[in-house]
Amino acid sequence: MRRFLLGLVHLFPEGFRREFGEEMREQIREDHDRAASRGRGAALWFSVTTGADVLASALREHLSPTWIGEPRSKHTHIMGRERMTMGEWLRDLHRAARSLRRAPAFAAVTVGTLALAIGVNTGIFSVVRAVLLEPLPFERTDELVIIRGTAGPDLSYGLAEEFYLQFRDSEVFESVAFFFDFTSSLRVGDEMERAWMGGGSSNFLETLGVEPIVGRLPTPEEKGRVAVLSHVFWTDRYGADPDVLGRTVFASGADLTVIGVMPPDFFFPPAEGVTLLIPQEIEAADVTPDIVTGFLSILARVRPGVGAQELEVELTTLARRIPERFGGSAAYAQQVSDFRPLVVPLQEDILGNARGPLRILFAAVGVVLFIACANVANLFMVRAEDRLRETAVRRALGAGRARLIGSLFSEAVLVAALAGGFAMVLAWVCLPLILAGAPDVPRLGNVGLGAPALAFAAGLSALAALACGLVPAVRSSAPDLGRLRDGSRGSTRRRSLGRDTLVAAQTALALVLLIGSGLLVQSFWRLSNVDPGYDTEDIFTFQIAPVSEELFDGPSYARFHMSFVERLRALPGVESVGVIENVPLNEGLSRGRFLREEEAGDPDAGEALSYTFTSGEAFETLGIEVLEGSTFTVDDFELGLASVVLSRSAADLLWPGESAVGRRLVSGANGTAYTVIGVAEDILQNDFRDAPQPMFWLPLAGPTATSWALSSPGYVVRTSRAETIAPEVRDLVREVAPGAPMYRVFTMADLAADSMVELSFTTLMLAIVSALALVLGAVGLYGILSYVVAQRRREIGVRMALGAQARRVQRMVVAQGARVVVIGVVAGLAVAVASTRVLDRLLFDVESADAITFVAMTAALLVVGLLASWLPARRASSVDPIEALRGE
Amino acid sequence: MTAESGLSTLEYHVLLAMAAGPLYGYAIKEAVEAESRGAVTPRAGSLYRVIARLISWGFVAEATPEGDVEPHPGRTRRYYALTREGRSALAEEAARLKGAAALAEKRLRVAGGRR
Repeated sequence: MRRFLLGLVHLFPEGFRREFGEEMREQIREDHDRAASRGRGAALWFSVTTGADVLASALREHLSPTWIGEPRSKHTHIMGRERMTMGEWLRDLHRAARSLRRAPAFAAVTVGTLALAIGVNTGIFSVVRAVLLEPLPFERTDELVIIRGTAGPDLSYGLAEEFYLQFRDSEVFESVAFFFDFTSSLRVGDEMERAWMGGGSSNFLETLGVEPIVGRLPTPEEKGRVAVLSHVFWTDRYGADPDVLGRTVFASGADLTVIGVMPPDFFFPPAEGVTLLIPQEIEAADVTPDIVTGFLSILARVRPGVGAQELEVELTTLARRIPERFGGSAAYAQQVSDFRPLVVPLQEDILGNARGPLRILFAAVGVVLFIACANVANLFMVRAEDRLRETAVRRALGAGRARLIGSLFSEAVLVAALAGGFAMVLAWVCLPLILAGAPDVPRLGNVGLGAPALAFAAGLSALAALACGLVPAVRSSAPDLGRLRDGSRGSTRRRSLGRDTLVAAQTALALVLLIGSGLLVQSFWRLSNVDPGYDTEDIFTFQIAPVSEELFDGPSYARFHMSFVERLRALPGVESVGVIENVPLNEGLSRGRFLREEEAGDPDAGEALSYTFTSGEAFETLGIEVLEGSTFTVDDFELGLASVVLSRSAADLLWPGESAVGRRLVSGANGTAYTVIGVAEDILQNDFRDAPQPMFWLPLAGPTATSWALSSPGYVVRTSRAETIAPEVRDLVREVAPGAPMYRVFTMADLAADSMVELSFTTLMLAIVSALALVLGAVGLYGILSYVVAQRRREIGVRMALGAQARRVQRMVVAQGARVVVIGVVAGLAVAVASTRVLDRLLFDVESADAITFVAMTAALLVVGLLASWLPARRASSVDPIEALRGE
Repeated sequence: MTAESGLSTLEYHVLLAMAAGPLYGYAIKEAVEAESRGAVTPRAGSLYRVIARLISWGFVAEATPEGDVEPHPGRTRRYYALTREGRSALAEEAARLKGAAALAEKRLRVAGGRR
């Protein structure tokens, strides 16, 4: 008992112990002997109280040291103490640095592992922070919602104007506004360009709760005559000139007076890049209901306390009354009665697409951090055990451990701090690469490694230091050490349980990430192999917006475009050229109600069909297969022919089982009848994930000169030089239509890649992250098994001496690794089954519980796990029994 | 506990013990026990933390013992003595205690009178 009490003195910090240790021991000895002479009870009482006192005092001395080395005056003792503590701390770090320098491999592996993990975490965090966590530049954004209609899950549509008028006066809203976006020609000074613009009710900005920093908000009377500029546009085009107010900008076909400039962090919904806002108004007198879908996004500020349920009931009720207020056909009334409102928070609407993938990535890199910490903690644990064995035999138990824990902790702090530093460098190098490949997400431009990222990295480093420094400290608990002190190998089950748990957890998490990325890779592969109905290789596309006195109606524009098509055809290497109003994957289609000829005049009949306009060799150029009949000839527009080409699904919808060629299709809007001259293959206009929409193609000019005029359709050029032909086309544009802006310049291959960028980016990132997790997990398993083999050298030696075959020894070690891996795999599969659903929105043609992916990834992990076990096993079987036994 | 906020009981008794002259560790412990009439029995851990603190405050310093030193087997004993600051801190604390004790007596008398 006395020895135990004396041993407790070792728990005091070294400096204190050096100074007072001997005196404390002396007092304990003397007091103990005196107490013992009074009887057992007294001795026990003394031991318990003194033990508690010494323990508590030692702990306190660690937390708030009283011994500072030398006497100081009463007035300076506080400052003096801090200086000394700081000095001691630095000394500790210095010692840790020296000891790490003696173990360069250990230092490199631990620092490298943590730096990698902290680096990717910091990178993704800075993206998450800028994109998701920073508040949107609007006032009380959580009250703002976007109202649309829905026709089942994942199907939403913009609403017609009457819905805005109907919702505007509802009590549940503080304010209701509408907005939309479009592309049109814009002229500042002499320079003409195409720009992304916004339209919105005059109370749109007020509803968002943002005031211009220069100028003022629009009034309802100013509709269509004024413009409010974005800060970027103002800076780029006007050099941030405060005298911009009152100047004229030509946009969307009208001269507009600049009345305001928005603040720098503000952007016009739906996204950054909208250059200016043109206030609009909708008058009830101008509204003629025809179809519930429209181009408006309705923005509303909900009164506090109004619940989602209440909102939906209110909107549904209001919508039901639209026909009685605005009229419309029975078919329209039917649409209204089917109407179901879809209310989406503005935040969700703007950031919704980015949120899913970012959260997945953030979680994935979090897993990598966990694996890295587990690995490094394991390495520290091994280091602790090795060193304890060195010292345990020679030293008093308590002293060795207390010092060891302290010095290991200093090493962990140093390793984590170094890792944090390297991580910042890594993030600094990698972040631009990540951003370059990222999908178009709002506020991605604000991503940077500022103070918050630095703080985050520092926080992670501190966490890593705690995990790697404390876990070994806690694990190196007394009972095991007692055995170590005897020099015996003994049972290491308890300690190995901790290690095995960590390795199994790593395996499980690595498997979850592997399965996740396996699902994404499969989706990506399948999506890349979807046949969209047109070719994406060797096609160059662009738009021009010619402006001239001679261009005013359908035929005049058509003539211009067709003559330009001839010029383009003459370029070297060009195989064919076509014109199409809405280039696939670049623009959506128009939509309207169309009837079969026999239904003409019936307001309730017909089908909702999409349409676009085309001429030249558009079908040949895009490689859209013509199934029946023919397509337009170059002169169709000169003859005023009213003909259409149907898509296969439109033909099936209108005349199922019959030939559509020669039939007539009637516009529900104006009664014009068109003859079907051909049927072509379905195409995927917007997204490879969508089902094809029933659609048709109209010629470039309509039956009359004023039916429609297409001022700036898209050109499609088939050439093997799609990547490089742009400058020649630009020269040609300058020649044929000087001053006409050329824009939306793409190759179809780029558009196809862009349409998949969300999936491909997430796939790539998750693949990298899970590969990292797999490698780290394998390294962890390998490291632990190598250590275990080293530890069991003697036992293995004995077995081999007794005649065990090398193969048996190998099998024994592999089995030990395999057990841990299998446990990890089982746990990982369970987690994966429960969690891969978060990928659902990104997946294409693959179930989130796809059996093949699960099996394949499990097999891959098992192979890697067995390999990581087999390498140490081979080493074990080469143990020379005599060597091993002598080594003791 | 810092010097500015008054002394703890143990700190007070340690200073009190040393006020009679330089003492070594175990003698301090015995003096404290005796002078507090057994109310304070300092254990090794607490006692030496208090000594360390009093040294760091400059109230106590190592000293050479006065007069004859009892021979001790093993290593030489370290003696501790009050500094001038320690002496005045002890006086201050004694005055404070005296005042508090007087107040207590007065209140006890008043309360006793009512009864």
